[in-house]
Order: sequence, then C-alpha cells, then structure tokens
Amino acid sequence: MDGALTLTDTRSDRGADTPAAVLDCAGLTRSFGDRLAIDDVSLRIAPGETYGLLGPNGAGKSTTIRMVCGLLTADAGTVTVAGLPMTPGAPARALVGYVPQDVALYPDLTARENLRFFGHMYRLRGKQLAERVAEVLDLTGLTDRGGDRVESFSGGMRRRLNIGAALLHRPTLLVLDEPTVGVDPQSRHAILDSVRAFGAAGMAVLYTTHYMEEAERICDRVGIIDHGKLIAEGTPRELVAQVAERDRVELTATGNLPGFATACAALTGVTHTDSGDGMVTLLVEDGRAVLPAVLDAAERADIAVRSVQVVEPDLESVFLHLTGTSLRE
Amino acid sequence: MHPALTIAGKDLRQRLRDKSAIVLGLLAPLAIAALMSFAFGSAQTFHLDTAIVDEDHGELAAAFTSMLSSDDLSDLVTLVPATSRADAESKLDNGEVAAVFVIPAGFTAAAHGGGAVPVTVLGTVDQPVATQVGTAIANAFVARFNAVRLSVGVAVAGRTPPSDALVADAARAALPEQVVARSAGTRPLDAISYYGPGMGIFFTMFATGFTARGYFAERANGTLDRITAAPVGPGTVLAGKSLATFGYALASLTTMAVVTTLVFDAYWGPPAAAGALIIAISLALVGLTALVIAISRTERQADGLAGIATFALVLLGGNFVSLSMAPAALRTLALFTPNGWAMRGFTDLSTGAEASAIVLPLAAMLGFTAATTAIAMFLIRRTVTR
Repeated sequence: MDGALTLTDTRSDRGADTPAAVLDCAGLTRSFGDRLAIDDVSLRIAPGETYGLLGPNGAGKSTTIRMVCGLLTADAGTVTVAGLPMTPGAPARALVGYVPQDVALYPDLTARENLRFFGHMYRLRGKQLAERVAEVLDLTGLTDRGGDRVESFSGGMRRRLNIGAALLHRPTLLVLDEPTVGVDPQSRHAILDSVRAFGAAGMAVLYTTHYMEEAERICDRVGIIDHGKLIAEGTPRELVAQVAERDRVELTATGNLPGFATACAALTGVTHTDSGDGMVTLLVEDGRAVLPAVLDAAERADIAVRSVQVVEPDLESVFLHLTGTSLRE
Repeated sequence: MHPALTIAGKDLRQRLRDKSAIVLGLLAPLAIAALMSFAFGSAQTFHLDTAIVDEDHGELAAAFTSMLSSDDLSDLVTLVPATSRADAESKLDNGEVAAVFVIPAGFTAAAHGGGAVPVTVLGTVDQPVATQVGTAIANAFVARFNAVRLSVGVAVAGRTPPSDALVADAARAALPEQVVARSAGTRPLDAISYYGPGMGIFFTMFATGFTARGYFAERANGTLDRITAAPVGPGTVLAGKSLATFGYALASLTTMAVVTTLVFDAYWGPPAAAGALIIAISLALVGLTALVIAISRTERQADGLAGIATFALVLLGGNFVSLSMAPAALRTLALFTPNGWAMRGFTDLSTGAEASAIVLPLAAMLGFTAATTAIAMFLIRRTVTR
C-alpha cells in the first residue's frame, strides 16, 4: 500500500443524541447443525472506540461479524447499532460499513464505477454520491486511477479501495474482517494506520484479527474469543495485567516437542506450556531465571534447540494463559 | 433509482463488456436463423420435376399427360421428356427428376371396361415427399375419372343414351374446390419469420444461466455480502439480477427483430404486438432466472439447472421445429412453456393474424412469470441470512 487512508473528524455530523454504545451485542448465540459456533457473546463499542476481536482461526470472529452486519441471523441474542435493531433490510444497516476479509469489488468495473455502485446501495444519489466518490478516491489515493478497471490495480490499491467502498456513506460503525490477511508488510502497516485514524475521527471500529500485535497496536479494547466464547475483554493493558509479570519463552526446536513441553510443565516457575509448528511456548514467572532449567530439560529430552526468545508479557501471553494454547494459526 | 435497477444496470454493463454477450445475444441467433431459413426455406416452395412413361398410348393416358402439363399445375410440376422407361429411370437415378409416372399398356382399355391396371409412381428414398405428391396427383386423376364414369353410368341407367356429349357434360360437372388450406392469418409463413424469433428466444434463454452463475460468483467473491450488508431488502439482489436478464433479452430480441426484418425481410408482425410478445417473453425469462437462482445452491448447480431448463424448454416449445409437425403430446406440453406460447404468438402474427391473437400467449407468459417469481421470492426469503 502506498500510504494510509486519512480521515477527518465526522463526530460533529452525528448530532448530540448519539447513544453511548454504537454497537451493542447481547447474548449472541449461533449454531451450525450440532456445532455451537458462537456461545452467548456480548460486547459494546462506544463512539470513536476501536475494538479488536482477537482469536485464532475458527474461533468465531467472522461468524460474530456476519451477525453484527446482518448477514447471518442469530439463534439467540440481539444486535443494535446506535440503538437500532439489526434485522434484514433494517435502517441500522445504513450505519454500518462492512469491509470483507477478501477484496470484494468488481474487477471488470473501474474504481469509480465500483464506488458509485456501492454508494447507490447505501442510497447515495446525484451530487452527494459524486462528492463522496471523489472524496473516497482522494482518501484512498486513487483519484488518478478512478477511471481504470480494478483488475489493473496492485494488491495494495485493491485493499485501499476495498476499505474505501465501506466509507462512502460515512458509517457510524466500521467493521473490518481480518483486513490484513495475506497482505504485504508495507500495506499492512498502512491499513493499521488507517484504522487508527478512523477511530481518532470518531468512528466506532470493530476489527477482527488473529495477530495479537495488530490488536495491541490499534485497539482501545480487545475481546479474546475462543471456541465461540468471549473469554476476556478489556484494554490491552488490563488484559496483560491478568498474566501479572509472566514472561513468555518461545523455543524453536526439533524432537519430541510435546514430551518436552510436558517435561517443562514440571519445572518450577513454569505456569503454562504449549507446543506445535516446531515451537514450544512456555509462560513463566521469570524468563531469565527459568531458562537454564529449560535448556537442561531440552538436552535431557534430546531436543535440538535452534532458537530461544524471552518475550515480555503481551496479548499472546494472555491467550496462552487463558486457553492453554498459543494464538497461532 | 431503486437498488434493484442499479444492480441490473451494473450487471448489464459487465455483460456488454464481455464480447461473448454480443455473440450469443445477436450474432449467433442471427447466423443460425439465417442458416435454418436457408435449409428449410425451400419447403415453402415445393416443386416436382417428373417424367411420364406412356406405355398405354390411349386417350386416358393422353388426358393424364395433358393434366400434368396444364396451367393449373405449372407452379407445382415440370414435365421432363423421357424416351423410354429406362430413360426415365436413369433420370430418376441421377436426380434429374424426383418421380416418374408409368402408365402401363392397357390402362385406357381397362378403365373403359371397368377393370383396373394401376398407374405406377416411381420414387427415390432421397425425396419421399416427391413420391407422395406424385401418388396424390395420380390418385386425384383416377378419382376424377371414376367420378365421370359414375355420372355417365347413372345417366345411362336412367335411359339416357350414351354419347360423347354426355361424357363431356359429366366431366364439366365436377364439384367446385372443396378443400382450401389456410393458416390462421392471411400470409404464408416463411422460414425466417419463424426461425428469427425461434433462435432469438433460444439464445436469450442462455441469459438465465449467465445471470444465475453471476449471482453465485458474487457470493463467492464477497460482493454479494457487501450488497446484502447494505440497507436493501433480501429480494432486491434477486430482483436486480433477474432484471438484468430482462434488459438483455429485450435488447437482444428487439435487435433480432429489426435486423431480420431489414436484412432478411422477415415479418414478426405489427410492431406493437411483436413488441408486446418480446416484453412478455423477456419477463418470463426474468421469472425463470429468479427460480434457477432460488433453487440452486452452487454456481455449478445453477449452470446445470439453467442449461437443462433452456434445452428442455426450446425442445418442448418448438423453437427448432414447428410444433405443427410434432406429436399431440408434445403440443400439449408446449402449453406449459413460455417460449412455446411466444412462438405461437409470433407465428400467428407473422401469418397475418389479428393482434388479438396474442392475448392468450401474453396471458400465459405473464402467468408463467408470476408463478416462477412468486416461488423464487418465497424460496429466497427462506434462505437469505440462514
């Protein structure tokens, strides 16, 4: 991506009676057949707040988002946006900007045609539509390419336009479903800056990711979801405080890693262990103090250690602490 | 503009940027209609080249030859001279003639004596219709002779003395023509006026498949989610997609009508009535498209279902072969197809029938549209957001 999207503060446009919570999900539950995908999830997002829904793949992030956007009905629970219930065809939809995980644009239409089309879907017309299309093209840095077909765009340009299409109608709530999956580091950096700007401009943002560093960087509050349940919620600082001063020790190694992890669990000062993908992750009270014992255990278990990293407490540690597994794909 | 119209406009724009739409919507039906008209158009102007082998040399054989070369049959029959039976059979084998009449020796004498020495009609398997027409001509001649003989026999039985004058009077007393072939209208149906609409409708029916596949492609690439996340009703996307079919069919059939009329001298009927039929069949395709989308679960299912529906309907509806030549059961089944009703309406109009002749076809097509659309909307409302 060439640069971050920039946004001006639109809070003054919304009037003085904006409710305290832009998004209010209460008791959302959804099953697919016998599988309980979402289990009694409740969350609230205030104006200008960026809320990160953090969880591994398959945890229920996208299902939650689809219910928030009215793309999926809940078996139980309610979704309200600015006090309006989210039902099929409901006015609440006009308040939500939805950014799908994959680029959802028409490659054989130009950028301007795509924006005009999606603007029409949000009932923008005439001069207002033309102005918003021009503004979004400017916002995404695509003014010069507005007449070009999307199929001729780079991946970063498509990503920007994908987000821009959700901003046409000045949504009160912006919902982004893992917008950085498969994105190069530069574009990812720019997207995160943009999301940060949306929140600063007064927009409520619901952002799903399975990258804990993204959540730490841009989110005011984070909800950790696993197996369809919201297992923790708070600011990144509050969540990290749950694991006190525990460090995370990550060893890249070969050998019987599950056996090695079990052996480490018996060591003094080790509170949680996890293994997989050629890596053993330990949650420990003092990384530096426990490291010699860990390396001894590796030697005894005939484990070839390739690298060791001691990490200060972060959301990854929180997830490990709460679920007993690390937040890897 | 309603979002459904916006979706339809977007789909049409995408369709027109795809060159295959022009090929399928205009060039292909035009080419196939022209080819089929060329192939079957000659059936409208049947002509029989024939030869006579007169082994009788009697007055009745002469009368038969005279009848074949008369002005009455000059448009239908051309007599090709043959010197002998072998010569005539040779001409039949090499295709110079399509049928040969052999009048055997003793034909006249047998007829006067009340006996029977039949005329033989020689034909080829390549041209069975020519053989049938030749047989019909010979039968007609014999029937007329028998009528005269019966008349004279009755007169003689009534004690009128037999004479040449009596025979001549009996021959002149033939009944006036009792059977006249007419179509529903006042014009003969020419091939291009049949195959123009037939092929136009056939190829526009492919639009149901394009649109249905497009719906599922949008679902796969996420744009459908993006649209349905907007404040539009659950049926809006379906309506928009289906309306794109309407626009495509309307444009394609209208262009076909104009081009075949100007280039091939086709007659689709009075413009207003033909236009009404074009609109009605285009609406019927809207309903069909909506139904295919609502029933299908995947792009592949939609593709298969649309293909089956298209070919089943065109075969039952008579787009390729006139239903007048089809078995009664097929003609009955055609009543359940919108294209069958459209073809019926276009055929009536192109043969000069009154505009009122299309009232029933219009009603049938609109009924089909209403039924399929209602079912589709019911199904789509049940499945959306589930």
